Amino acid sequence: MNSIDEVLLRFTSDWRNPVGIAALALVLFVAILYWEQTRFMLKSLRRNVLRSVLTGMATFILVLVITLVWSILAFLDRQTAAKSENLKAIITEKYQLPSQMPISYATSLAEGAPRNAGDYRVNPAKDSMLWAFYGGTLDPNKKTRENIIFFFAMEPSKIISYDNRTKKYSSMMDDIDQATDEEKRLLNDACREMEKYPYKVLVGPTRLAQMNKRVGERFKVTSLNYKEIDLEFEILGEIPGGRYELSAAMNYQYLQDAIESYNKGKSKDKQHAMTERTLALMWVRVPDMDAFERVAQQISSSPEYTTPAVKCDTASSGIASFLDAYKDLLFGMRWLLVPAILVTMSLVIANAISISVRERRVEMAVLKVLGFSPNQILSLVLGEALLIGCTSGLISGWLTYFLINDLVGGLALPIAFFGKFFISDAAPWWGLSIGAATALAGSVLPAWSARSVKVSEVFSKVA
Amino acid sequence: MSLAPIVRVENVCKSFRRGSEQIDVLMNLSLDVPEGEFLALMGPSGSGKTTLLNLIAGLDRPTSGVIRVGPETISDMSEARLARWRTRNVGFVFQFYNLLPVLTAYENVELPLLLLPMSKAMRKQQVTTALDLVGLSNRMNHRPGQLSGGQQQRVGIARAIVTDPTLIVADEPTGDLDTRSAHEILDLMVELKNSLNKTILMVTHDPKAASRAERILHLEKGQLVSETVPGAPALDSRITSEPTA
Amino acid sequence: MKALLLILFKWLAILVGGGVLLVVAVILLISAGLMVLMLLQAVGLVRRVPLGYNVRNLMVRWRTTLLTGLAFTLVVALMTVMLAFVNGMYALTKGSAVAGNVMVLADGATDEVFSDLGYGDISTLENKEYIKRAEVRQDNKTEVRPLVSWELYQVVAQQLPNPQPGKRSSRFVQVRGIEDPVVAGMVHELPLHEGGQWFDRGAGIQAVPGGGNEQYVQGVLGEGLARELGRDVAKPSLAVGDTFELGPRKWVVVGIMKSAGKTFDSEVWAKREVVGAMLRKMTRSTAVIRVADGLDPAQVAREITSDFKSPAVQAQTETQYFESLNGTNQTFLIAIIFVTVFMGVGGVFGVMNTMFAAIAQRTRDIGVMRILGFARWQILVSFFLESLLLALIGGLVGCALGSLADGLSATSQMSGGQGGGKSVMLKLVVDARILMVGLVFSVLMGCVGGLLPALSAIRLKPLDAMH
Repeated sequence: MNSIDEVLLRFTSDWRNPVGIAALALVLFVAILYWEQTRFMLKSLRRNVLRSVLTGMATFILVLVITLVWSILAFLDRQTAAKSENLKAIITEKYQLPSQMPISYATSLAEGAPRNAGDYRVNPAKDSMLWAFYGGTLDPNKKTRENIIFFFAMEPSKIISYDNRTKKYSSMMDDIDQATDEEKRLLNDACREMEKYPYKVLVGPTRLAQMNKRVGERFKVTSLNYKEIDLEFEILGEIPGGRYELSAAMNYQYLQDAIESYNKGKSKDKQHAMTERTLALMWVRVPDMDAFERVAQQISSSPEYTTPAVKCDTASSGIASFLDAYKDLLFGMRWLLVPAILVTMSLVIANAISISVRERRVEMAVLKVLGFSPNQILSLVLGEALLIGCTSGLISGWLTYFLINDLVGGLALPIAFFGKFFISDAAPWWGLSIGAATALAGSVLPAWSARSVKVSEVFSKVA
Repeated sequence: MSLAPIVRVENVCKSFRRGSEQIDVLMNLSLDVPEGEFLALMGPSGSGKTTLLNLIAGLDRPTSGVIRVGPETISDMSEARLARWRTRNVGFVFQFYNLLPVLTAYENVELPLLLLPMSKAMRKQQVTTALDLVGLSNRMNHRPGQLSGGQQQRVGIARAIVTDPTLIVADEPTGDLDTRSAHEILDLMVELKNSLNKTILMVTHDPKAASRAERILHLEKGQLVSETVPGAPALDSRITSEPTA
Repeated sequence: MKALLLILFKWLAILVGGGVLLVVAVILLISAGLMVLMLLQAVGLVRRVPLGYNVRNLMVRWRTTLLTGLAFTLVVALMTVMLAFVNGMYALTKGSAVAGNVMVLADGATDEVFSDLGYGDISTLENKEYIKRAEVRQDNKTEVRPLVSWELYQVVAQQLPNPQPGKRSSRFVQVRGIEDPVVAGMVHELPLHEGGQWFDRGAGIQAVPGGGNEQYVQGVLGEGLARELGRDVAKPSLAVGDTFELGPRKWVVVGIMKSAGKTFDSEVWAKREVVGAMLRKMTRSTAVIRVADGLDPAQVAREITSDFKSPAVQAQTETQYFESLNGTNQTFLIAIIFVTVFMGVGGVFGVMNTMFAAIAQRTRDIGVMRILGFARWQILVSFFLESLLLALIGGLVGCALGSLADGLSATSQMSGGQGGGKSVMLKLVVDARILMVGLVFSVLMGCVGGLLPALSAIRLKPLDAMH
């Protein structure tokens, strides 16, 4: 979908983007270049402080809502944006959901299932990651959202590892690379600890707070999806980075060991029902579409994976499949909610500006008498609207970013498997552009009517 | 006076439509104003004196006829050009002062200068000079609301002269003032004419105010009907476009 | 530094939030008082206000009226549509449950998809006397059977033909393996459309003309899913006899359920054993029973939970089960309330602008009215009414506009919020309740936005106003 906001988002996915900074610079430049005029506009706005504040507040609030909605859409858009290089593929059971593959698949899948010489081989040490899901409750008698926890069971080295040769951290998890160096170092230490003591786990900060537990505490989980495999954990630390606020990660080995000890001495039919079903999915990183196609082909043609069959999707299309259930909801947000808010904003601004133009007809006429040209008057009115729109939009975008991300700690909205959304870095730029666009849209007509004030008519009425 | 006329109005007509009927405000009117003259226009309301003033100030365009001010024919300028022309060539004084309430006296006077390519220092010099001239340099940081009517009108005059225009146009400048303030304002206008050689056109219906002018033109129903020179016996004859001063 | 800022903001938020709540509460209180006053004057107990004057003013300043009214319209219309969506989801959960049914899941399972009943003593469920027995007609024979439906619920990824990069690669189809389709249809009260039939109780597979020796799985589709799958082959809907691919096998449609308004609308039903074999799930996830006439389903559910221990089960009325799926709806509802309130606040600021300006323009009028003998409160009521009127008209149009969404179909996801969940197809439902909410909200915005300006109007002294 080539939607407008998608285009805008691509330009503004990051606050450090040149378009946003250029826009702000342009606004400041114009304001300083025409400082006298700007000052004049400011003074005009100050005349009816109440109205200016009301209009600014309306813009502020509506920009806030749009920023929230757009942040969600932007995040999902980025997740489903087709990448052509350095992309991740997701290997799952072909038909059943949730996917449950035998762990015996893991070794070959981690390499991208090469069988013949010349097949594409994925580096399993760096570019693949297995995931199992282990979930349970802290209180089997009272299952609430707060005391149910789901773990990514995986190899700790895939959360983060340090390459002594290249002196670089590498991770298979999204967004871990955005953590600070210090956070990475701590996380790296924690992951090595997890390898040594598989019962130690990492938990997202919000999840930790919900569970009312602290780092260092131990807790016991009664499993929901691995019946009778109840495990005890020790909290080793928090997972950094906004993406994993609600998540938890454990060492896959711990789960595997628990199942094996459960099965020990039991005949095949008494073994745990999940024995051959632990592997939920395998992530594989490939450099480009060509490599992806080859891996996908190798996997789908392999005789090794028959019961169950497996498939290989790009991460983006895999996620898009999950999001399909929300398509109407997202459509509504994108094409109903956002436009309605934009129009409402323009209406509020149009109303305020046209009231103030009507009140100042005489003043506009005086300016004309003094030699202001119609276009100068037009731009004075537009400028006033822009001043309100841009300022409150910029502040609103920035404040939304700060409030939601730093104060509230993310926007909890269960869409697919994403539990929390964060306001985009680009929010201040969105605010600026939304404020500017709606201010323009709202003030064009009133400004035009100010432009065409007839001096002789105004004064013949006065005199 | 043998000076070339600075304002020349030739066969100007102006009519408005109100609904289906056409109202002729000015009918084939001609008039010359020599440079440096202080001219008063009088007449009953509806006689077209304000309309004539607006036409000469370039605020409106005649239905037919030609208006020249200095070397320019303003009757066929575009609105945007007229605006630019007004900044440099005409200063306007209103009955109700029409200062911008959000700006100080200084800023009000400075306003027209913003339209000219001038440095801040130059603007400051010119604004101070203008305010000095009207005797308000001690009030320049006051808002219009903090000034008396007479003081506001002085600010209005300072604003009119700050761009150093040749022509000053005033529409009932004393209409809203008490006798004393009115007297002071008229003194100021005479002073402008005498010391700065400004050409002043003033519409008024106050005979006392008009008597300060050098020449008074009387309008009725869109036509000049008579001309008097204050202090001299009234000339009852119909006047022509040729002034007889 | 950041921590300090956070604390500062927290306090600021609490202060501002509390202040705003207080102001709104006071405003609403005064508004209520004014409305009582209006009522009194409507029945002629107190003197009238110059209402005609306000109406005339709204008409004269039609541009401002239009701009402000439109803002109301948009907010209310949007609110109506969003609430209609949630309403549709609630209607779905309500419509899917049958009052006399009890649903049995494995203990600890938060959703059907995680439930595994196994083959322990639960298999004797059919013999319990609290289960309704009814005459079942199948294959031209009539026999009395217990109304127990053993089901295996699975989600199957159906590969889409030629997926685009970044677009979804598969569609998730919800498959319900059923042991006794006729009984299941009776338990869930799902009749078939004319021309269709349930799959065989025996094999549940068949050959199709032109299909060679391949055995197709007999499937019964919900109407919604039939339409959805029809889109792949450019048909408005799949019909009996059509075939499709799902999982590792080919399927043939043998019947279409009258499933509109139920979650089953987006499901395909087939023989449990066939589904199980296809997906390596030789087990049953749930049992749904109809309780015998006169019994309380909640009581029966408790009995079942205590009767069976291997495996431990957890029985609940079907109504309870579907209500537990409303978790998502509640989240949506909260989000909608959030968005609407914020938009409403934006709208309120707009109305305040309008009303303050209206009053500023009419100070002279107010002065005249006061001199003519109108009391302060009459002026107050008159301006307050003006903004209410504006809000009411805007709100009415908004409701009308929002009502257009009634009956639109949409897809959504529904879950209890603990994993799992169903994709559902729903119809937006605009009902009287939603319209009332919309109107009340609109009037509320009018109150909050109109009262402050109206109060400022009465503070004018008559003679000052004349200047």
